[in-house]
Amino acid sequence: MYYKFIALMFFKWFYFNFVELSVMAKYPFISSAREWVKKEGVRVEEILFDEIYERARGRGAERVMQALERGLIKDVPLLEEADFIMEIFSYPVARMIVVASGSDYVIRRYSLAESKRAYENLKNENIEFIERMAAEFGIRMNGNRMYFVDYLRYAPTWDIKWKLVNRELRKGEIILEKHELARLLQEAIRKKIYSELLYMYPPPEIKKAFGDIIEKIKAKVSFKEEKERIDEVDARFFPPCIKNLISATKSGVNVPHVGRFTLVTFLNALGMSIDEILKIFSSSPDFNPEKTRYQIEHITGKISGTDYTPPKCDTIRTWGLCFPDEICKRIRHPLSYYRLKRRRK
Amino acid sequence: MNFLKKKFTEYYSKADIEFPPRFDRREYAFIFFGEGGMHRHISFLSRDALISYLKKNSPAHSYYSSAYYRHPDAATMREKEWMGADLIFDLDADHIPDAIKLPYEKMLVMVKKEMEKLLSFLMDDFGFDKKDMRIYFSGGRGYHCHVSHPDVISLGSQERREIVDYVTARGLNIKGIVKEKSIPKEYFADKTIEIDPRKGGWSGRMARGIIDFLKEIKNMEKEKAIKKLMELEGIGEKTASSLYASLSDERIKRIEDGKIDQSREFKRIAIPLIKKLSVSLHSSADEPVTGDIKRLIRLPGSLHGKTGLRVTKVEINELQEFNPLRDAVVFGEEKVRVMIKKPFSIEMMENRFRVNEGVNEVPEYLAVFLMARGLATI
Repeated sequence: MYYKFIALMFFKWFYFNFVELSVMAKYPFISSAREWVKKEGVRVEEILFDEIYERARGRGAERVMQALERGLIKDVPLLEEADFIMEIFSYPVARMIVVASGSDYVIRRYSLAESKRAYENLKNENIEFIERMAAEFGIRMNGNRMYFVDYLRYAPTWDIKWKLVNRELRKGEIILEKHELARLLQEAIRKKIYSELLYMYPPPEIKKAFGDIIEKIKAKVSFKEEKERIDEVDARFFPPCIKNLISATKSGVNVPHVGRFTLVTFLNALGMSIDEILKIFSSSPDFNPEKTRYQIEHITGKISGTDYTPPKCDTIRTWGLCFPDEICKRIRHPLSYYRLKRRRK
Repeated sequence: MNFLKKKFTEYYSKADIEFPPRFDRREYAFIFFGEGGMHRHISFLSRDALISYLKKNSPAHSYYSSAYYRHPDAATMREKEWMGADLIFDLDADHIPDAIKLPYEKMLVMVKKEMEKLLSFLMDDFGFDKKDMRIYFSGGRGYHCHVSHPDVISLGSQERREIVDYVTARGLNIKGIVKEKSIPKEYFADKTIEIDPRKGGWSGRMARGIIDFLKEIKNMEKEKAIKKLMELEGIGEKTASSLYASLSDERIKRIEDGKIDQSREFKRIAIPLIKKLSVSLHSSADEPVTGDIKRLIRLPGSLHGKTGLRVTKVEINELQEFNPLRDAVVFGEEKVRVMIKKPFSIEMMENRFRVNEGVNEVPEYLAVFLMARGLATI
C-alpha cells in the first residue's frame, strides 16, 4: 500500500515534469521556460563550450539557418527528457547567434520563423491551452472569444478578412476559430521575440563558439540585400488613384489601410523593391519602420507566402480611393493603366 | 463683434466649465473674436488658471486636445510626447448628405439619430459601458461622443481606424455576411441567401435590418411601400413593385427564419441598407477624423463663437429629450434691438420666432445667436 503510494507520487512528479518540459520545448519563449533555464543555473560559457550542450548548440545553429533559408523552423522528434532539455537550451543559443549577426533582417526573419513554428503547434492545442498562452501575452480571452482591443493589436487588418468590420463582434468580444486564435498569438509571439532581440547584446564569447556560422549568415544577408533591380519604374505612367495615394502619403496625410494596401501591391507588381516602397512611406505621420516593413513584406509575399495582387478598379472605387481620368474609362485594373500608358509613350 | 465679446465675457465670469479628464496633460487652443488664427500649445497647471484665462480673453472658440501629453505646451508633436488619447466620434451635419439642406433645428435632429446608432454600436458590439462614454452637443451642427475607457486610450491610429470603419461599415465584405447558397433543383440551381438575426456583429445587424425593413414594407400600403423602396439608392420602380408583390405572408415567415430565396432583388437592397444601418461619420474617405490620435475638440462648457450656444454635456438617458435650442442656450430674455439682414425663422426656448428684415426687438439669446451666425447686426 505504502509502496504503491510512493510509486504513484513518483509517477505524478515524473509525469508533471515531463509535460512541462515538453511544453517548454515546443514554446521555448514562454516565461516558465526562461525561469526554468535560469533555475538550472547553467553559465553562458557552459552552454557555449561544454560538451554536454553540444546537441543544444547544433540545434540552435540549425534554428537560425532554417529561419533564414526557409522561413520556418522544423520540429525534431523529441522522445525523452534529455531531448526536451536540449531543445529548450537550443533556443537561447539561437538567440545569441541571431543577435551576434548584428542584422535587423536576421532578427526579423528569425522572430517570424519562431512564431510560425509556434503557430503550427498552437493550432493543434485545445482552447484551454491557447487561453493560457494568450494570458502570457496579456491577451484577454474567454473561451474561443477574444477582447477586441487585443484583437486589434495583433490582427493583420489590411487583409479584408481580418478587418474588424467583418468579424462577429458582440459585447466587446470576437468569436474566432482555433487557427485564427493561433494566428493572432503568432503575431504576439513575433513581436515579443523581435523586441527582445532588438535590445539584447551577444555575450563576447559567442564569436569564439559560432564565428564561422555568424560569418556565413552575414555573407548570405548582404547577398540578399544587394539583389539587383529588374526594371526601372516610371511614375509618369501611374494611374491617378496611385498618384493620389503617393502624394497623400508623402505629404503626411494619414492614408487608410486599404490605401496602403493598394499602393504596396501596385508598386510590388511593378517590381519595386521593399526598400524603395518603404522610402515612400517614410514621411507618413505615424511611420514605424519595423511595422511598415513587416506589412510590406507581408503584402508582397516575402514572409506570408501570399503575393497579393493589386485590387481591381471596382474595389478601389468602393474604398473611395478612385479619382478617374480619361484613360480610366478604358481599363478595369490599375496595372492595365500603367501598361497602356507606357505603350502609348 | 463687441456685443458678442461682451456677452461671452459675461458668461465666462460665472460659467461652469467641465474640466476634461487628465486636465493638466492636455493642450488647449483658442480663437479670439476678430482674429483668424488659432492660439495653440497652451497648457494649464491649475483649474483656476484656465478659468481666469477664459474670463480675461473670452475666446470665440475654445478647444482642448483629445490626446494627453507629457509636455502639452511644447511647440512640436515630437516634443509634446504623446501619452494617449480619448476616442472621439465627431457627428456633424456636414457629414450627412441629406442633413445639409435642412433648416438648423431639423439638421440637429438628424445628427441625433446618427448618435443613437453610434451608441448602439458602442454598447452592443464594442461592449462599452455608459460610464465610459460622454456625449456633448458641439454648440454648432453636431454631437461628439468621447470614449475614455482605459483600454482605448493607448490605441494607435490604425486600431482607431478599424473602430471607425466598423461603425461606418467601410470595408464590409457583404458576401461574407449575406451568404448565397445554391440549392440544386430540377433544371437549374435555386439561389438562396441565408441570414441569421441572432448573430453578433454586422452579420446579425444586417439580418435584423433586412427582416425589420421588409416587415415594415409589407405592412405598408402599396404606394407608400414602393415609394419607400425607391428611396433606397439604385432601386427603380420596377424592382420596387416586383419586390413588394413578392412579399407574401409565407415569404415573410421564411425570411424571419433566415431564408431569402430568389435573391436577386434582395441583393440589390443589401448595399443601400448598409448605408442606412451604418453611422455617417465623414463625407470623404481621406478626412482625418476619429482615427486621428491628436486632434482638438471643443471644451465642454465653453461657447461656440458661430452660434453662441454652449458645448453641453448630454446624459445618454436624456439624449432623446435633449433640445439644443433650449438646453444649450445660456443667455437671457432681456430685449435687444438688432438689425436683421434677411427674414429668418427658428424655434428657440420653445418659442417660434419669425423675424423680418430691418430693426427687430428680440430676446438676448436670439440676438446672440443671430449675430454669431452673421444674420444680424446691432
